[in-house]
Amino acid sequence: MRFIARFCKEKCDCFEIVSIYEEHIEKEEISKESPRIKTLAKKEPSAIWFERKMQDDFGIIIEDAFDKRPLVHQERFPKEIHPLRKEFQESSLQEAPYLQYKYEEIDGDGVFQVAVGPIHAGIIEPGHFQFSQAGEEMLHLEVRHFYKNRGIEKMLEGKTLQDAKPIIERISGNESIAYQICYRDIYLQATKQKLPLALQKRHALLLELERVIHHLTDIGFIPNDAGFGAALSFASKLSEDARRKMNELTGHRFGFGAVSFENSFIDTVSFHEWLDELEKSVEFFEDWIIDIPSLWDRFDTTGILPLKKAVKYASVGVVARASGVATDRRINPFYLEHGFVMASEVSGDVAGRFKVRLQELKNSILMMRNFLEEDDTKLEVTDICDGEYQSFCESSIGELFMAIDIKDGVIERFFVRDPSFMNWQAVHIMMRNDIIADFPLINKSCDLSYAGNDL
Amino acid sequence: MIKFWNKRVKLGVITEKPELEESLKKIRKEIKESVKKKFAGSLAIRMVDSGSCNACEAECNALSNPYFDLERLGIYFVASPRHADVMLLSGVMTFNMTPHVKEAYAQIPAPKWIISIGDCPMMQAPFEKNYAINAPVTEHLEVTHHIAGCPPNPVEIMEGILEFLRKI
Ligand code: SF4
Repeated sequence: MRFIARFCKEKCDCFEIVSIYEEHIEKEEISKESPRIKTLAKKEPSAIWFERKMQDDFGIIIEDAFDKRPLVHQERFPKEIHPLRKEFQESSLQEAPYLQYKYEEIDGDGVFQVAVGPIHAGIIEPGHFQFSQAGEEMLHLEVRHFYKNRGIEKMLEGKTLQDAKPIIERISGNESIAYQICYRDIYLQATKQKLPLALQKRHALLLELERVIHHLTDIGFIPNDAGFGAALSFASKLSEDARRKMNELTGHRFGFGAVSFENSFIDTVSFHEWLDELEKSVEFFEDWIIDIPSLWDRFDTTGILPLKKAVKYASVGVVARASGVATDRRINPFYLEHGFVMASEVSGDVAGRFKVRLQELKNSILMMRNFLEEDDTKLEVTDICDGEYQSFCESSIGELFMAIDIKDGVIERFFVRDPSFMNWQAVHIMMRNDIIADFPLINKSCDLSYAGNDL
Repeated sequence: MIKFWNKRVKLGVITEKPELEESLKKIRKEIKESVKKKFAGSLAIRMVDSGSCNACEAECNALSNPYFDLERLGIYFVASPRHADVMLLSGVMTFNMTPHVKEAYAQIPAPKWIISIGDCPMMQAPFEKNYAINAPVTEHLEVTHHIAGCPPNPVEIMEGILEFLRKI
């Protein structure tokens, strides 16, 4: 019974707390006058961020939570403001007096704290990492995010599904196609339509292409963080080529706006040629990189997420599969018929995550061949019906979950849980046996999104 | 390693499509000369993300790939604002990031400039102004040059940097 998400909805006369599990959904209604719930975090540790988020967004009181610090609202955020409540309609906020955030810290003789972020040394997104150090050894890490919170959930309320699309596809640029596919499935549910196979294949092709771009970038950056720059040069050339293919197919280098119900022309011949070439390059890369012992010295046994913890923290995606958890939203007849094989490793370390990426790259290339076809099927869309809809998609990071409620033709509540939201909460486990110099490598091996996490 | 060097020799220097290569050549030449003249041969950029979708960062990372290789022209992305001449700012300037962006800017030694990148900082991307967004960035900081696009591709970013160099 894997825990997936927990979120709040405001109804006319109550709040509804929805908890999503792999096999079932639990709903609980609580009064508006005294919005209190019990925590799930004692059983499901990763429920804590969901609950702290509810506390900030809606003012829900988590009675027995051991951690009641704000999550999304930071030091200067005005107190007693719960922006996701319907009554809140301000379009700007005044900075409140600075209120120190109390980090989880370990004390002791000679133990010191290292604060990293929110702005980091490279070209990466902002987030904060607070380390408790004993010399080089990391004793504890607290991951603190939500610097990039753009209020997306609120922004989408009151919009029609069509108007929401350009925003949804820009929530996390690296996973744009996955967000669009989740959106597409909700759109189809709301219009009670079935997707023609040809379009399904076309969208699946784009999703795999997005995964290929993401993995190619990572298989360069991960060795680069271990001091092996040649891999980055090699792989970043390949990922640039793949990005150009995306541009050729969709007219956009990140595929914004690409998942539509039109089917435009694909030059299958040149695409096949490119796939063949890419396959050879990836094989060469693997053959080359496997042979570099100093690199594997850094990868092996670094940043281990043990299987038990991966299950406990309900990890998803590449991180989970590298720890031996069999979870992938592509385990379904459609994907299996097109050659999907789930990647899996058991070591749970940087090496495991790197190898999972390599396996997935090769599998995605194979699947893209099977998805590729010339076709001009279209789908005419019909009217949207009110209702509560949910969808899933396996993005390049992991399982993406989206829920949209539609009332009177417009969005009443938008909720999305990026795979990163789950995996960030397991990152501190990976640090326990390593030194702080390994942190960038471990972080990169997970390559989680900040934008999708923060919303 | 031998395998790699074999491949390296066979592959040679990778170049763009000829037509693109021609125009890139011109841009490269002008950037290089201008960086030499105005920044003594090295222009240090500190990239700050104030709430982007990460695509703008990905395109800046792409500037370092072998096709574009910006460092050749004397332009570096540096780790600290204290080493920087220019702040390259992406994203919608969220409420939570605003104080940190201002702090980073304050840390850059003068003379300093801001180039904003992508439609987000100017609130021209699809995101709408709400409680969590303090945009447009121009209300908080003085922007010397703006590179439009959602995201601007690497060539557009190079052109944008060139335009900035011409401006100052
Ligand atoms: S300008 Fe566009 S691509 Fe750049 S961060 Fe904003 S939404 Fe993303």
